[in-house]
Amino acid sequence: MPEITNCIRRLRFEHGEMTQEALANRVGVTRQTIIALEAGKYTPSLSLAFRLARTFNRRVEEVFQFRADGDSPASRSTI
Amino acid sequence: MNAEQRRAWFTVSIGSICLAAYLIVAPFVGVLPAFAVFGLFGLAGLTPLIGRGEPMDERDHSIARRATLGGAVTSYMAVILADMGIWFYVYGWKGQQQVSVHTLSLVTLMACIVLFFARALAILALYGRSTEAESA
Repeated sequence: MPEITNCIRRLRFEHGEMTQEALANRVGVTRQTIIALEAGKYTPSLSLAFRLARTFNRRVEEVFQFRADGDSPASRSTI
Repeated sequence: MNAEQRRAWFTVSIGSICLAAYLIVAPFVGVLPAFAVFGLFGLAGLTPLIGRGEPMDERDHSIARRATLGGAVTSYMAVILADMGIWFYVYGWKGQQQVSVHTLSLVTLMACIVLFFARALAILALYGRSTEAESA
């Protein structure tokens, strides 16, 4: 099953240990949604993905990674 | 717990109270007249007053949409199964039977209750999955 992973948790800590509440307020969602995102239980809309990426001054693909079945880190790096 | 979850708990509580009241009242007034207690489920119409004005984000809307779809599908299946049962009762089994016209209102009542109850359960299940692992 295709899966979208993210590194929001790490990026929060790299940005002055930003709390989930603070991040939620900045991107206009609830803290529950940030929790679900970090746990990989919710895939955000494109709009929310961009807002999150802009909050961390990153590109979307730096925050979110797509991994389909059979993808391995090695195969991804060769593409 | 957000507004949508509180609304769902309210609906589930009303449904459980109705069921309990039915089981208590039925032995005294009879199985069919006791269905009147399910009229209490009309109180579920008050749910929009709970958490009015609380903001909902895209995930809340997505969960509400999926839960409504789940409730509608469950309700649809319940109605079809009930209709099949009635059909079998009327034309199968011992030949041609008759059913009371009140059966129609009972099926409609059941469809509404199943819709709201299943939707509330789906909301609790969909939120419940992702409320662990809370950290700052």
